[in-house]
Amino acid sequence: MAVPGGNGRAPATSHADPRGDPFLRTQFAVPARPVTFLRRDRLAGHLDEALLTPLTVVHGAAGAGKTLLAADWASTRDEPVAWLTAQVAAKGGGTFWAYLLEALRLAGVTTSADAGLPAEAGRADDRLLTRLAAELSTRNTPVILVVDEYDRVTDPEIADQLEFVLRQAGHGMRLVLVTRTEPLLPLHRYRAAGTITEIRNAELAFTPGEAAALLALHGLRLTADDAGALVERTRGWAAGLRLCALAAQGEPDPRTFLKEFEADRTTIADFLLAEVLKRQTAGTQDLLLRVSVLERFCPDLANALTGRTDAERVLTALHGQNAFVEYLGHAWFRLHPLFGEILRAHLRVRSPELEAELHRRAARWLRRSGSLGEALGHAAAADDWETAARAVIGDLALGEVFSGLHCDELSRLFSRMGPEPVSAATDLVRAACALSRCEVARGSSRLRRAAQALAAQAGSADGDPADLAATRLSCAFLETLVARLTGAPGRAERAAQFAEQVRRDVPDALLEAHPELIALLLTHLGSARLWAGRVRAARAALTTVVDSSGTGATEQARRECLGHLALIDYLKGWPGRAERKALATVTAADQGGPPPVSGPGLASLVLAAVAVERDELDRAQALLDVAVDARHPPPDPVTQAGRAIVTGRILLARGDTQAALEAADRAVVADVASPWAEAHTASVAAAAHLAESRPEMAVKLLEDVPGDEPVCLVGAAQAELAAGRPEAAAELLDRMRPQGDLGPAITVRAALVRAQLAGEDGDYAAQCGLVSRALREARRERLRRPFAEAGPWLRALPLGALAEGRLPCGPTRRGSPARTGEQPAPPVVEELSGRERDVLRRLAQMMSTEEIAADLYVSVNTVKTHLKSAYRKLGVNRRHDAVCRARELGLL
Amino acid sequence: MRYEIRVDGRMTETLVKAFPELDHVLMAGQTILFGAVVDEAHLYGLLARCQSLGLRVLEMRQMPS
Repeated sequence: MAVPGGNGRAPATSHADPRGDPFLRTQFAVPARPVTFLRRDRLAGHLDEALLTPLTVVHGAAGAGKTLLAADWASTRDEPVAWLTAQVAAKGGGTFWAYLLEALRLAGVTTSADAGLPAEAGRADDRLLTRLAAELSTRNTPVILVVDEYDRVTDPEIADQLEFVLRQAGHGMRLVLVTRTEPLLPLHRYRAAGTITEIRNAELAFTPGEAAALLALHGLRLTADDAGALVERTRGWAAGLRLCALAAQGEPDPRTFLKEFEADRTTIADFLLAEVLKRQTAGTQDLLLRVSVLERFCPDLANALTGRTDAERVLTALHGQNAFVEYLGHAWFRLHPLFGEILRAHLRVRSPELEAELHRRAARWLRRSGSLGEALGHAAAADDWETAARAVIGDLALGEVFSGLHCDELSRLFSRMGPEPVSAATDLVRAACALSRCEVARGSSRLRRAAQALAAQAGSADGDPADLAATRLSCAFLETLVARLTGAPGRAERAAQFAEQVRRDVPDALLEAHPELIALLLTHLGSARLWAGRVRAARAALTTVVDSSGTGATEQARRECLGHLALIDYLKGWPGRAERKALATVTAADQGGPPPVSGPGLASLVLAAVAVERDELDRAQALLDVAVDARHPPPDPVTQAGRAIVTGRILLARGDTQAALEAADRAVVADVASPWAEAHTASVAAAAHLAESRPEMAVKLLEDVPGDEPVCLVGAAQAELAAGRPEAAAELLDRMRPQGDLGPAITVRAALVRAQLAGEDGDYAAQCGLVSRALREARRERLRRPFAEAGPWLRALPLGALAEGRLPCGPTRRGSPARTGEQPAPPVVEELSGRERDVLRRLAQMMSTEEIAADLYVSVNTVKTHLKSAYRKLGVNRRHDAVCRARELGLL
Repeated sequence: MRYEIRVDGRMTETLVKAFPELDHVLMAGQTILFGAVVDEAHLYGLLARCQSLGLRVLEMRQMPS
């Protein structure tokens, strides 16, 4: 099975926000001014000062005329203007910044190409903002960035980030915030420094003269007294005046209406809106009330809600009259936010039962038009979980419950779904939500119910065949996940085969749009295969995912797969390869990608295991802590077993045999046993027994492990040797021969056991040869643990005599595979003394401080003094660096 | 927590329905919405609702429960 879209295409990020949805063009449109718009020079003049200060804030109540003022002013500027309606901020910081970058790009300020895009919906990383600010700061003419409806930005982090960019961009950007509430920015500081232009509600209010001029545009002549009275009644509120004009226009005697209005004590907007509404035809009223449930709409969507076909004509007419409806461009409209709210209140009173139905219709229309996110929102608002679940499953978006970007959003949305309704789609979503929280029992029971419902449905001919295929594929996908989490490889294989069959019936466009589903499915399959010890088959599935071109959607699956491949390399005894793969996942995770789930947990485990092999125990412990600290509970048996093995190895290396035994004894619950997990835990336990001088128990333990796992054979050979049965040990090692593809971590250990055998036979030449070979092999991988384990006989060898027998170089800087030797070495300032050379030479022979002291007939402290001064002269601070450095300089 | 919110102008029945969780009483040129408020989030939510309906809040105070 191949991951769709894996042909190395460039990810189509430039026209999509991090949620994968295409940008809503309407968010970038500078609102059109109605024909009756009155330009007020005093405000435009004040707003001109925005060019002199980095920050401008236009605050005012709903309907105070803020947006139109800013839009009119912006349209007269020569500087590039980027306009953003901040509605999108509700979807998270990453989405907000993606939109902001797109707004700048549309304004001709080409930032998105250089600055990159946020990778996740929830947040944007600092590097991106720094790059953006740096680019803006180099501009000669400032870009004017207008953020409308800034009151929607409630996340203090976005406010902080925006302020950061504003400060860093300097003269390159002029920010204009249009908002109902004071923004969460340190305005006092800007005020004190005089770097802010503010236009507040009182200034936005119409004067009697302006009110008269506005009404004149509507064809109404007012005396100065009438205008004054009207302004007093409306407090100069733009929306009030506008509604007033609309209502009065329809009256035979506008003056009587205005008198009535002045006498009435009803709240202004409510009174006026009701007045204007009742002057519309019944059809128009109905349409206005119905579309009030939508944030924005096009004629076709409005028709879907009314069940009529006249929306285009009605909307165009309403927009022409400047009544309620604003045009957003691209055939989309919206209600004036204030009127929308009040219309919704009217809808609830007039037809309370209609609201849910309207949301349901909107959900259906939006899903058909491909806006899954909005469709889900409306389905949820209608409490129509069946439609919501069908939308997710039918769009093949179920993988998004697991893959980082949307997972929180989807889980949050569906957490409101109760136990009803029960159908294949809803149960699949329930199962997915439970499994994403690692509630395996709950998830698999829901999945079983879904599978039964699906089987019953299969015979009947109802429903869209594409939908049915997508549902089946989603079901198979969850099956592989359950199989992975319960360690059931057979189940995973059956599910994968089924997926392969039904996949043909799923439209290619869907598979292309959601490559993460197949990628995750293959990851689960690979993990289950690995658990069962079917390493080659596991590698095949995992490699398919890794080789697919990584779009953001499949990134998490790729990382998990790399983690598994790293584990395979480690188990085969190739720590270097394992480290490279594991590091590839970790660095990817650091680049502001989606939060890691179990992949990097596994990768950290592998890195910890590699660190143990190199005898870097503190680093190993730190890595293990990271892996265990991963925010999710231990997900699958592979990770659980890996954790037990690494914990055991670290404890063994630290000499805490009892704790190591306990760690190795921790049972992993799974359907089938895993050969490598059993072999490695047994080998840890056996080593612990061996360290406690109980070779017989070690032998017994390893005999019980079925199959000839190399790690067990080596362990058993060590135990047999310790028990005084060299022939049995040799026989065990011979059994290892036929197995190919064994890495140095295993072959070095085997060679050392052989060397010890040779030594017991008195064949020192063979022993030296074997140890020398082991050293050569270990050096490439920087393996040190096998030598530390080997026991006192090894250190008694005159290693200096071995031609190429060198110690593997010591640990390098954390997180860097590069050797310290690549850095320019500091020059030797002083010659080493004869005694220091003597000490160093013995150090190179792996002698301990005590042994050197005994050999040179001096005290331990004297040796330490020599060492210290040798370290100083060589510019190093540990033994192995000293030996390496001395060799480089030809001092040994 | 019990609160009362005093709003400028008489609210119509329709508009009052936008605050189903609160009772109301009409006075000369003013409306008083009152009732139990769950927590601060609810309180700010009510204020935002007033704002989005174009209501002028004159006074808002906690009442002894």
